[in-house]
Amino acid sequence: MSNALADVEWDACVLEPHRDRELEAYVRRGFGTVPSSVAYFAPVPWVVRAMAEMSPAGSPLLHVDSVLADLVGLVVSQDNSCRYCFGVQRLLLRVHGVPDARIAKLEQGFLDAEIDPRAKAGLDFARRLSRAAPPASASDTQALRAAGWSSDAIRELAFHSVFTVYMNRLMTIAAIPFGPVEGLADFWPIRVLAPVMRLASRRRERRALARAAQLPPERARGPWAYLVAGLEGLSSARALRETLDAALASPVLPRRAKALIFAVVARGLDDPLAAREAGALLEETGLSPNETEPILTHLGSPQLDAIENALVPFARGTIRGRPLQLQQRTRGLLDVLSPEQIIEAVAVSALANAVARLGVVTQV
Amino acid sequence: MPIEWAVALALAAAAALSAALWLRARRANTLARTRLAAASAELERLEHAFARFAPMELVERVIASGVPTHGERKEVTVLFADLVGFTPLSESVDPSALVRILNGYFERMSRAITAHQGHISTLIGDGILALFGALEANPWQTNDAARAALAMRAELAAYNAELAGEGLPKLALGIGLHRGTGIAGLVGSPELMQFTVVGTVVSVAARVQTLTREHGVDILVTSDVQRALDPRFAVRALPPRALKGLSEPVATFALLPQ
Repeated sequence: MSNALADVEWDACVLEPHRDRELEAYVRRGFGTVPSSVAYFAPVPWVVRAMAEMSPAGSPLLHVDSVLADLVGLVVSQDNSCRYCFGVQRLLLRVHGVPDARIAKLEQGFLDAEIDPRAKAGLDFARRLSRAAPPASASDTQALRAAGWSSDAIRELAFHSVFTVYMNRLMTIAAIPFGPVEGLADFWPIRVLAPVMRLASRRRERRALARAAQLPPERARGPWAYLVAGLEGLSSARALRETLDAALASPVLPRRAKALIFAVVARGLDDPLAAREAGALLEETGLSPNETEPILTHLGSPQLDAIENALVPFARGTIRGRPLQLQQRTRGLLDVLSPEQIIEAVAVSALANAVARLGVVTQV
Repeated sequence: MPIEWAVALALAAAAALSAALWLRARRANTLARTRLAAASAELERLEHAFARFAPMELVERVIASGVPTHGERKEVTVLFADLVGFTPLSESVDPSALVRILNGYFERMSRAITAHQGHISTLIGDGILALFGALEANPWQTNDAARAALAMRAELAAYNAELAGEGLPKLALGIGLHRGTGIAGLVGSPELMQFTVVGTVVSVAARVQTLTREHGVDILVTSDVQRALDPRFAVRALPPRALKGLSEPVATFALLPQ
């Protein structure tokens, strides 16, 4: 079965797959399987853990129906032209029993796909968050309320939407091969196996719900605390806190280089709150606001080292663009960065793109 | 023939007719569904294709509820490019060769502009009006536009080498860059409409481009552009010149090779 992204150009992956059995066992506990992408990110474990912890498998959805969550994944992935994630979402929709004809209609534009107004409002909001042109605001959340969405459901939907943005950026910027996923999505026995897979998935969801712990208030502090606070009461608060802490604590790239990535993306997406957080991180690493400003205005400085001077324009390129463009920029990092550093640069850029789109949770 | 046979025959004929009608209706439905799906897929493709020329939200608004008539004030950087000496060239070269030369030129210039986050708003004869920061807010629009202008210079040099190899005349380019506020929106008639920016910012860029001949340079930027530019760009200040429609002389800077 052909799909709506079949014509999207995709470069060869610059990363080599690695097996890490411990990490695979951890991922299998959450997803029931090990996605082919895991091997490419395995050398930097926090990246794989973030995928698992921020996904509905690690942060169970209590207020957004799982089929609607998959639809959000489908439309956002299609909008971002992420062939890998689009394949995953088509597979999930088939596992959830959505007929092929309906999936095809959704791919062709959900306006025509007999979706109820509440779900339609949710999908519109998800796309708006993903596009961020202009960034989503209180008027968008008011539109959701008018369509019958509760505050908790809006915050959960926002997090799930930006988690999809994170996954889209991760897979696209790294050019993770999509062949195995697309093949599986179109594999006909999936329909036959779907009921068994649904049962197993529900069992995992129940286990995840039982496991899901609230974030203790003392742990909510730290960079981007306003976002963690905005997700209070949802399991995604803990996942976001742990992911941000792990990303910043990782020794693969210098902390200042990562703070610069966050700052560039926040500037590009015009998010003053995310920019303030990134600015505070940069100050911690010794860059004053006066020193930071010209770097962010012109995307480079003689004050930066070779890695930072490569990462600053790279981060800007991850905000928007076609997959092939993004992937060619990643290829350009090979001269300056090690494979592990490339993985972390891709993941931090993906995370920066997620957090700078999530500010709307403070306005719900 | 007994009456039972006649009834049975009539029932069989009715059943056969119903089956034939049902099959026909099913075929028609399948065909209609296939056509609808193809049309929807085409619409989706068009929507994404149009997003290269107008903001995606605007494209969706046009599809959902027609052409909006309001504009939006936006900070943009305008690049206006024109071929120097094109009129005499068009009179001396065979028309089919001229069209081929022009198309090759536009293809290369378009590549240089889109690679630096710009989009071509209009082609006016051999002229190009390109916008930076019009589709989406772009805090780096002026550096992008300057890089695009430098990339256009490099592309033209490579293209001229190709043209010389074919015994065709070389092309020369004049580019004007200006930054300011303009009104962005869908402009035109019902038959021909385009997303563009209107206002002084566009006319200044176009007029600065004409100054390239006077100053004997290929890329000129205004002081509004120069102030926003990365200091790592090398520029040379040129004497101010009066421009049509502006009360004060305009200071310009030549953008030098990096």
